[in-house]
Amino acid sequence: MKIVCVCACTSGIAHTYLAKAKLEKAATELGDEIHIETQGTIGTENALTPEQIAEADVALLAVDIATTGNERFKNIPTVKVGTSLVVKAPKKLLKKIEEEIKERKSKKE
Amino acid sequence: MTEKEIDITKVINPNLIDLHLNGKTKEDVIEELSRLLQKDDDITDIQKFVDDVFNREEEGETGIGQGVAIPHGKSKAVKNTMIAIGLSDHPIPWETLDDQPVTAVILFAVRDQDADTLHLKLLQKVAILLSDDTFIKKLHAATNKDSVIKLLYANRGDD
Repeated sequence: MKIVCVCACTSGIAHTYLAKAKLEKAATELGDEIHIETQGTIGTENALTPEQIAEADVALLAVDIATTGNERFKNIPTVKVGTSLVVKAPKKLLKKIEEEIKERKSKKE
Repeated sequence: MTEKEIDITKVINPNLIDLHLNGKTKEDVIEELSRLLQKDDDITDIQKFVDDVFNREEEGETGIGQGVAIPHGKSKAVKNTMIAIGLSDHPIPWETLDDQPVTAVILFAVRDQDADTLHLKLLQKVAILLSDDTFIKKLHAATNKDSVIKLLYANRGDD
């Protein structure tokens, strides 16, 4: 599964980056490809490219606040969760998303 | 990777580490660690800082599981963006993702208008380390201040 993701927490100091690191680890273990943009106190880092978004199966918004640029994901399935869920159970979350994406695809066909 | 070369001692020093916290509650521990920041001349007004940390606490749990909490305050009372680390021999009740108390508390003090990318980058690095189970185990097991600081240096898994 190819995932584009935005992480952002309330104060943009710690949870954003913890969530990013946890997701990257979980994705590697599950064989998923993930690109993560962070929107924190420091500003936006690792901004997603249009190519990454175009190729993605799903957009994951791991956010506790309103983030900018969500219109970029209007053409792909989007899942929104809080950062605490990501920190708590990243692998479980990615597995669940994968199941849902498969289900959506099979319904379309 | 230049990030790895950044000196972590710009945000942590032995004065900001307490290996045996006395506090029995979250409030006590946050104050205890804030006093270290005050002594180290990193915050100007301890009460204002503690208030700002608690404002953040109200927005969601800062216990990240595995016995670790990362309270943080972005505050006008902060002079230097730093972290203070406390380890405890007794469990401290905290709102956590796994509903377990904590024995390690990392308090992030961030200047309100921090344009200082370097310090924020260092805090990011600490947050990223916390995603690593091995790091967390070693943090809990640390018995001296030097080893805590050394742990923070290592993010290549080769320490």
